[in-house]
Amino acid sequence: MAFRIEILAQNEDISFKDGRSIEIEHILRGQGISADVRIVDVYTSENDAVKASFFTDSVANPVTQNINARLDDFDWALEIGFLPGVTDNVGHTASELLALGGATNDNECYTSRLYLIKGDMKRADVENLAASLSNTLIQRNVIKSYDEFKAQGGMGAVIPKVQLDNQNAGADEVDLDIPDAMLEKLGKEGIANADGTRRGPLGLSLLYLKAIQAYFKKEGRKPTDIEIETLAQTWSEHCKHTIFASPIDEVKDGLYKHYIKRATMEIREERGDDDICVSVFSDNAGGIIFDDNYLITDKVETHNSPSALDPFGGAITGIVGVNRDCLGFGQGAKPVINRYGYCLADPRKAFRYFRDAKATMPILQPDTIMKGVVAGVEAGGNQSGIPTPQGFTVFDDRYVGKPLVFVGTIGLIPREINGKPGHVKKANPGDKIVMLGGRVGRDGIHGATFSSVALDEGSPATAVQIGDPITQKKFSDAIVKEVRDMGLYSAITDNGAGGLSSSVGEMAEQSGGFCLDLDLVPLKYPGMSPWEIWISESQERMTLAVPPENTDKLIAFFAKRGCEATVIGEYTDSGRAQINWHGETIMDMDMDFLHDGLPETPLVTSFTRGGEQEPEFPEPADYSALLCNMLERLNICSKEFIGTQYDHNVQGSAVLGPFQGKGRVMGDASITRPVFDSLKGVVLSQGLFPRYSDIDTGSMARSGLDMAVRSAVAAGADFFQLALLDNICWCSSDEPERLGQLKRAVEGIYNLARDYGTPFISGKDSMFNDFKGYDENGEPVKISAPPTLLTSSIGVIPDVMESISLAPKAVGDVVYVLGATHDECGGSEYYDLLGYTGNNVPDVDAEKARLLYKCYTKAARKRVIASAIPVGYGGLGAALAKMAIAGQMGMDINLADVAGDLRLDKLLFSETTGRIIVTVSPPRVKAFEKLFNRVYCKRIGHIAYTEKLNINNVLKVDIAALDEHYKKPLKDY
Amino acid sequence: MSARVLVIAGYGLNCEEETLHAFKYCGLQGDIRHINDVIEAPQLLNEYNILAIPGGFSYGDDTGSGNAFAQKIKLALWQPLTEFVARDTLTIGICNGCQILSNLGLVPAFDRQYGQRVIAVTHNINARYQCRWVDLKVDSASPWLVGVESMHIPVAHGEGRFIMDAGVHSLLRDNGQIAARYCKGNGNPANGEFPYNPNGAMDDIAAITDQTGKVLAIMPHPERGMFTWQRDDFDVLKDTAQREGTDLPENADGIRVFQNAAAYFQE
Repeated sequence: MAFRIEILAQNEDISFKDGRSIEIEHILRGQGISADVRIVDVYTSENDAVKASFFTDSVANPVTQNINARLDDFDWALEIGFLPGVTDNVGHTASELLALGGATNDNECYTSRLYLIKGDMKRADVENLAASLSNTLIQRNVIKSYDEFKAQGGMGAVIPKVQLDNQNAGADEVDLDIPDAMLEKLGKEGIANADGTRRGPLGLSLLYLKAIQAYFKKEGRKPTDIEIETLAQTWSEHCKHTIFASPIDEVKDGLYKHYIKRATMEIREERGDDDICVSVFSDNAGGIIFDDNYLITDKVETHNSPSALDPFGGAITGIVGVNRDCLGFGQGAKPVINRYGYCLADPRKAFRYFRDAKATMPILQPDTIMKGVVAGVEAGGNQSGIPTPQGFTVFDDRYVGKPLVFVGTIGLIPREINGKPGHVKKANPGDKIVMLGGRVGRDGIHGATFSSVALDEGSPATAVQIGDPITQKKFSDAIVKEVRDMGLYSAITDNGAGGLSSSVGEMAEQSGGFCLDLDLVPLKYPGMSPWEIWISESQERMTLAVPPENTDKLIAFFAKRGCEATVIGEYTDSGRAQINWHGETIMDMDMDFLHDGLPETPLVTSFTRGGEQEPEFPEPADYSALLCNMLERLNICSKEFIGTQYDHNVQGSAVLGPFQGKGRVMGDASITRPVFDSLKGVVLSQGLFPRYSDIDTGSMARSGLDMAVRSAVAAGADFFQLALLDNICWCSSDEPERLGQLKRAVEGIYNLARDYGTPFISGKDSMFNDFKGYDENGEPVKISAPPTLLTSSIGVIPDVMESISLAPKAVGDVVYVLGATHDECGGSEYYDLLGYTGNNVPDVDAEKARLLYKCYTKAARKRVIASAIPVGYGGLGAALAKMAIAGQMGMDINLADVAGDLRLDKLLFSETTGRIIVTVSPPRVKAFEKLFNRVYCKRIGHIAYTEKLNINNVLKVDIAALDEHYKKPLKDY
Repeated sequence: MSARVLVIAGYGLNCEEETLHAFKYCGLQGDIRHINDVIEAPQLLNEYNILAIPGGFSYGDDTGSGNAFAQKIKLALWQPLTEFVARDTLTIGICNGCQILSNLGLVPAFDRQYGQRVIAVTHNINARYQCRWVDLKVDSASPWLVGVESMHIPVAHGEGRFIMDAGVHSLLRDNGQIAARYCKGNGNPANGEFPYNPNGAMDDIAAITDQTGKVLAIMPHPERGMFTWQRDDFDVLKDTAQREGTDLPENADGIRVFQNAAAYFQE
């Protein structure tokens, strides 16, 4: 029997009104509907203990809420709950509370939310509201009119329990002795079930399947389904990065080894004793030296496909997942900073695209995606107690079908733990395989494929996942604050893509094999098939290698911290990957074949530079209005609503946050002091200019890398203690032209990283960011995200007293521009405003930039610079305006001598790389000019006693107006 | 022997390290202990003079912020906790800790009736998590706030809005239990105006105490504004000091709370 507890928010007293109601009334007002909304939090369970006061007291607040009150005085009731198998975090907590209070059975508790709406609304209006508040992939919604509600005795109790019918499922044999056409079908659609349906794409090409066929011929038997699924996971683009590993044109060792990894190797060699790298490309994150005692680690992930379908779930799973990459670095690094980054379509626009030809399954609108991903990182980051000061949001409408969601985590780890290097770990033969954290369900099986059939109503579980930050926080604290230093485990890694198949498989490479018993894996619900357990991507799990004598102690300790840890097998040196199920061996493959058996696929590329003629157009008449328009560009304006929702000063470590100056301008870099006893700070930044790809992906990649380096240096980072991460989000990576663009981009960053001496320490790629769907007439549509290379930078500032914010400090200070300006508006915000692409896309003069950054690092140490802003989107014009807004100070600027006879509009908005605008107090001018006498350094004006930004006496705008235009476009989100 | 501080951790509390650092910086000794360890050995409380429940997201704010954690304490640690509070001790709850103390009824505890829940700390009126710096006007006889008239420290919460009925509010006011209110930069009342009052709290309330003043429940984070380098205007302050050739003070407003705790036990 189902019991239902309804907690109604009081509304008699207006001053008691629930903030969540006010928010929904606000949404409705935006649609021209005036309504009164009350919220009822609903708890449903087969456990009668939910009726007990110990439970109701802990889920309701008697000051603001009523328990099981009579529900009346409304026109519509809308209830939103989860579909079976979807992570219900509040439900988990409620279940824990039941146990805590001594409930006699362990039936789960489930939550839903009921909205009681009073107002003049039609059913269609309520359906619209339901669509904006829920996601049918993961949630159910029920709408009842007042009369229906009363006639049916309320909403009814729904228990979204997962029920699987394959109770006795074992491993099936798969016949690979079939014609090529059937093999191809197998790769594309998956293994056939007994009823003829397919299990979902394996993503194995014919070439790969042939290799598998040959292997099992040699073994003298047919493979099992779990073996095929394991190979599909292990050999996937996601795990093996096959495009980056494959021979490409004349580059026989592949793009990754030849460019990215080689850049780092060569830089490390060149720097010798000054090498800052400690662990690169080999672990879950990259690690560099922070100080004598600590390393800092960094990893940036993407979570694009999931975020397109469930933005909140995709983003929270992403951020909580990348936290685990940090926990899984070396012996376990403590997460100390989060990063985020979004590439989205204009949230103010609506797009009519569909996933199906019948136009019944619309894509999510950009504002839904934006709100969802922002909320996902908010929930994941804030609940984990990790500050999130660093991030960006870039807009381009070609991200409409495939938004890019970047999430990153910086970790801190002692250089030495129990006398051993903190970054070193190894699973030894004989070590037990221990799974820690959440239980395993069907979550994320074939996560990359999202078949709509599998997600239809009635589907028992879901491929969409929602992170559970608190489950993870419990073991995260236990690992980095207690267990790690007890020395109980030999190695640790996270469970991400591919679940156990990938984490155990990777760790077993160190020992030389494994033998695992799937019956021992704790499950969320019974009835899963062995292959499902093995590749499930259920979140919040780590895998450890534990010497047998330590397992009891380790498991008992985790239990005291409310975490479940279970021995599920053993690492061996047998050279075999073995799995048992119900006493039978269902997988037994060569480790070598598993990891290195995939055949090479040589790639061929072509490259054509894009762009068009440089446009000719008259000089703008009103520069003041033009600057205001530029400030309203989505790539330039403030995204304050994101930054304020992200806790950026938890851990007490924030030095330079997302908002700078009285005017709260969002900076490109942030500084965090992760160790109270050390004056050193971690400087983070990033750079990306996706639109430049329309002209030249090499320029796109190099400009982004330069921006990442320059912003960090401008804030005070030591140019010589700076490392980089590359995140490559490409499209249509099976087309030679796209691969040619890729090769050019990667070659570009190789050269620039070499020239700067800044090593890559980690990276990730996502190669198929294309939306393939239909317009409203059923015509096929393909929208490819612009080739996007994000470079993230992580550096160290030796003393946070030497940090430099972008806000000018005092009237009378002198303003300089460092770095020359050229006629480079191709792909710029300015040309885009005018509707042009252009041709003169910015590139990087590496030698000049390198010298400038060296001088700047010296100047930062001597504290001669009062404020600094790197010049990026919107060029000098946007940068000067941001300075004026941040400091709330006037500026008198004359750019006449900056770039010869370059027309003022191009001078203001060209996005030439390598430039920084700085202000210097008069007594330090002499020292400053001496430090920069070998590089382009031009005095352009001073901070003025006015309330205006004045440029060349042609552009004069009040600071208040600049402020308004800068903050207006996204202020209502 | 100096007083000892116990900072509670676990289940999503997350500010324990910086909170303990604040106390230690002020000369106190102390430990972070997981709530399960305290529940297992409640006599541990006898070793301490100061109890701090730090900020965080206990149980992810599920079932209402601080609710589930308060329930855990009520079920497993209530008696020893009331005994602790009855001794000559100090207790502070910051942010999530403030929500927990309110749900436990350790504040306002009129007539020392600990355990009655009469104040809610609930969803911000704009239904958005807010991380920003605020100004507080402090007016309290609490030992935690001796000599403190104002503070510039940050808030970081999604549920920080104090709500209570009119009767509770007047008692609180008349008893001098409203320890701090949000105000504008010039000290004028915020009058509910965003962003000065970041959450819509009734009467701009940012912190309350029990009737003895020894239990302080405060939504803003003094431990995130205890040093000058943590301040939002650190860049300006250090620049000014450099220009004027003066030393930049190491401490900022928030440290006063912890210094007061240390001073209380030195008397």
